[in-house]
Amino acid sequence: MGFLAATVITAGVFCSKSGNGDDNGNDNGFDKTAMLTNYADQLIIPAYQSLQEKVNGFQALANSFLDTRSTANQQALLEAYKQLHLQYTRVEAYNLGPAVVASLEVYLNYNGGLDYNFASNGELVGFSIDSTTIENNISSGSYDLSLYVRNSFYAQGFAALNYLFFGPNAIAKFNTNTANRVKYAKDVIHRMKSLVDRINTDWTAYRTEFISNTRTNVGSPIGNMINAMAYELDVLKGPRIGWPFGKQSNGIAFPTKVEAYFAGNSAALAQESMRNLKKVFTANGSGKGLSDYLISLDKAELASQVTAQFDLLISKLDMLPDPLSTTITAQPAKVEEAYKEIQKLLTLIKTDVASATGVQITFMDNDGD
Amino acid sequence: MWHRLQAFRSHLWTMMAINRQSWEKPVSITPLITFRIAFGLLMFVSTLRFWWRGWVDAVYVSPSFHFTYWGFEWVQPFGRPGMYLLYSIIACTALMIAVGLLYRLATVLFFICFTYVELIDVTTYLNHYYFISLVAFLMIWLPANRLYAIDVLIKPAKRRLLVPAWTIGIIRFQLGVVYFFAGLAKLNPDWLLDAQPMKTWLPAKSHLPIVGALMYKDWVAYLFSWFGALYDLCIVFFLLNRSTRLSAYAFVLIFHISTAIFFPGIGLFPYVMIVSSLIFFSSSFHERLLSFLPGYKASGHIVTAYTFTYKKWLYRIMLVYVGLQCLVPVRFLLYPDHLFWTEEGYRFSWRVMLMEKAGAAYFTVKDKTGKQFYTVNNAEFLTPLQEKMMSTQPDMILRYAHFLADTYAQRGIAQPRVYGEVYVTLNGAGSRLFIDSSVNLAAERFSWKHYPWILPYKAAN
Repeated sequence: MGFLAATVITAGVFCSKSGNGDDNGNDNGFDKTAMLTNYADQLIIPAYQSLQEKVNGFQALANSFLDTRSTANQQALLEAYKQLHLQYTRVEAYNLGPAVVASLEVYLNYNGGLDYNFASNGELVGFSIDSTTIENNISSGSYDLSLYVRNSFYAQGFAALNYLFFGPNAIAKFNTNTANRVKYAKDVIHRMKSLVDRINTDWTAYRTEFISNTRTNVGSPIGNMINAMAYELDVLKGPRIGWPFGKQSNGIAFPTKVEAYFAGNSAALAQESMRNLKKVFTANGSGKGLSDYLISLDKAELASQVTAQFDLLISKLDMLPDPLSTTITAQPAKVEEAYKEIQKLLTLIKTDVASATGVQITFMDNDGD
Repeated sequence: MWHRLQAFRSHLWTMMAINRQSWEKPVSITPLITFRIAFGLLMFVSTLRFWWRGWVDAVYVSPSFHFTYWGFEWVQPFGRPGMYLLYSIIACTALMIAVGLLYRLATVLFFICFTYVELIDVTTYLNHYYFISLVAFLMIWLPANRLYAIDVLIKPAKRRLLVPAWTIGIIRFQLGVVYFFAGLAKLNPDWLLDAQPMKTWLPAKSHLPIVGALMYKDWVAYLFSWFGALYDLCIVFFLLNRSTRLSAYAFVLIFHISTAIFFPGIGLFPYVMIVSSLIFFSSSFHERLLSFLPGYKASGHIVTAYTFTYKKWLYRIMLVYVGLQCLVPVRFLLYPDHLFWTEEGYRFSWRVMLMEKAGAAYFTVKDKTGKQFYTVNNAEFLTPLQEKMMSTQPDMILRYAHFLADTYAQRGIAQPRVYGEVYVTLNGAGSRLFIDSSVNLAAERFSWKHYPWILPYKAAN
């Protein structure tokens, strides 16, 4: 029993040390539930609602275009498309809970997965568009968009919208097999809409679960958000910019593999994805974000380091003009600069932030190496 | 001087002779029987748990590449059916050990299969898996099937009530090694003076009922650190001492149950230790414990104690074993620089929950002219767990770099050079470059010596 007493005494002696330490009022802890509530109510749910509105708006304009396939209608649709896709990048970091259940990312904006090699894995990698499958689906008129296979992902969502509405000779192509083509376009939009609707509905119920789970293990909201931040940066470093730029392939660029190739707003999407991710990190400066959680853990320096790196990265991304498909070959130095900053931010998130918040990446047992 | 040395030598011999008497002294077999049953059952449950959670597939079937141990490159997974067969054998032999059926065969098979699985991938190294391998090895030699076992039902002549004291002592020794070295490992400035990594890990546990709010308090982190260190260092001595044993075991329960609550990621380790520590109890305690089991009968008139046939050889094996167990955990002293940073001599040393380390590793492959330039996508080859483990451990980085050189050579790059840009954060200090990114890792060899391409550790300002 003696050693328990000794322990308590020594601990008592040492705790007095913390008094003159550098703890910034974390004695009262940090209200993780308030943080999560703030995320749910101020960021996530409004972002999905806005996505829903934009999908509806896009659907209406698409219907007008499909009725009257004029260049003017196409232009109007393109603007709506860009707004819709930008809004999607604002929910991308919330790839947890309902979005995972619905497989939102793979059906709406498939990036090909992070485990692919651009140089040696053939055609359907990164943000490809599977025009062959799309055309086959149209001519046969029979398809199942809920199929969970790569070809299916590459033939719907933003990839399909790009090709059907803004691809080469998009308007002219509607003149043959019109009924089938119109139906396919409508089906693709309808599927996007139903997925987004479902997520909006699901969040109503999921909200309670989200705000009450303050753990940091795998599958927990905090764990998911930090992993999603690292994932977003991995996507930027790989399929969004790095791989089409030729990082995996000895500098051989793949211009057609950029996101939203035909709509041509890939750089804008990349920029917005990081602007939004910074918002996720700071919870839009509300004082109830992951950055504030870091501050409460005596990691104020890290929090400002990450914010500063976000700013630096965004400024480098802003130097990349659209269309990105030309920029990656026309201005490689600028892309290279941005790439370096992506990697720096990714390192901070994967090492320092993950470490400080005690977030785990897998379910496997580990004894703390 | 010489005389003194002579005197010391003869003293040593006398001591060993006395000890020889005490370690061969016949004692009750019952602690060994409890241990056998508990170990077998726990291993059975642990194997099913691993299987049930889908880890056989996740760890040994899906990955295309494995981080083999140096010298054990021939240990490869057997493919899906093969791996499940292996796990079936492990589960079956664990049950056979528990019931004492074909005990010798079961322990040998269990040891071989379990150790084989653990040698497949460094990624899955856990101290308690190592502990299980060691205990399984010891159990091969121990007469733990001579009472309350199917083996003695079949051949009652094999039944024994007494065994040489060392057969129980060796397991106590093994537990002592685990605890004591785990305690010694905690005697470092980060752990004691900064309460790291507890200070990092505990705030992540604020969801726990009642104690949750305390998790942000510094003094709690210090309490956990200091109590943990003292516990590990002292518990064996309190368990050995009869007068303190019962309260010490209460501490075993408190300590390990709280670890299980606070750090569920640690898996079955707490339960392994809780059950194993029963070995310290007296034979009368075990007698009572076993008497609750159906059909247990320790009465009878067998007075002959179990004796070993090849005693001399067995003693030699055990002496070497004991020596290795004492030396392996301190081998890190032969390496320069900070152990937690280089991890040279880190494994197989009972360092559990000792540091918070995270890394990010980026590799590039160049051809011999340096003109061709490929950025490696780790996700193409590694699972997230493998990547995480590799990013902070130099020997895994080297193993991976060699694999990359082979892979890119197959892809047609002449004499590939592999460079790693690796960043590591240790115990909350800001991440910094871990290895020399100008070194061609493809040309670096595996070695027992210090790897000079690991950048020196710099203490946090």
